[in-house]
Amino acid sequence: MIRAAILLLPTALFSACAASIPQAALRLPESTLEVRSIQTRTLAAPSEIDILTATIAVLQDMEFNIDRIEKPLGVITASKLIDADSASEKAGLILLEILCVMGGGCDLMSTASDEQRVTLTMVVLPSLAHDGEYTARMTIQRVVYDKMERIKVLERIDDAATYQQIFDNLRKSLLIQVSTK
Amino acid sequence: MTRLTHLLPLFGLFVLSGCATTSANITGAGTQLETRQIQTREYDTLDKALTMRSVVATLQDLGFTIDQADAELGTITATRLDQYTMRMTVTVVQKDTQRISVRTNARIGEKSVADAATYQDFFVALDKAMFLTQHKVD
Repeated sequence: MIRAAILLLPTALFSACAASIPQAALRLPESTLEVRSIQTRTLAAPSEIDILTATIAVLQDMEFNIDRIEKPLGVITASKLIDADSASEKAGLILLEILCVMGGGCDLMSTASDEQRVTLTMVVLPSLAHDGEYTARMTIQRVVYDKMERIKVLERIDDAATYQQIFDNLRKSLLIQVSTK
Repeated sequence: MTRLTHLLPLFGLFVLSGCATTSANITGAGTQLETRQIQTREYDTLDKALTMRSVVATLQDLGFTIDQADAELGTITATRLDQYTMRMTVTVVQKDTQRISVRTNARIGEKSVADAATYQDFFVALDKAMFLTQHKVD
């Protein structure tokens, strides 16, 4: 038994420190074009300032704070920290915790989602294809933390409906911006 | 069996000590020239603005959000959250009267990305974005 443990020692040492750089971390996925079309819209606007102002306003409407703006590149990055509490997740964890208590006790509620930081980058640039139009492309991602402030989820948001809703709001914001000048 | 039980804490300490390091490792591990070669490509173009536009589009294609961008210095830093945290910095510099150099370095969590294939994948993606930009495709 001791000999087996000694033989396993080097394996344990290497596995404890293994740095796994994911393969193909920067390879374009096959879904690139589809995702690009979900994330991009072309909008007509009188000027670059109008569309950038409307974009900032819509981000504020959605309760984001602006982190960075680099106007020559059309880059606006914004983020917000919001509640990630889920009643259905909590209900499931309560059930599991009851079972756990019967089996000796554990603290599953600390693994429940608590808050999430959502980061959004909007790139608004003059269209290369059509004069007087602008392309707006958005990428969104989020980190979900549990009650112990541990990272629970790291993910990109690829849901088409979310992007559609934001672009609908951007169109409205642009109308307001142009009509109230 | 009892002797084995006594050995277990020692085993744990030994495993942990395998990761211990006292070095701050500020200067990184790679050799300067080799690292630069892996991380850099040169493009026959003079348009820095369009190259930066292509870099931003490539980063978005790869699922990054932009943390920092400076058109004057040609620097863009971006983060991707996708099971792990990946951060990249891309610099776009005009080399001479005919070429633009694009250099990138990436980190995943605490680890620096050193393999050439990963950077090659990034430049393949950037080549596509450069092609689209040069042909005025949004």
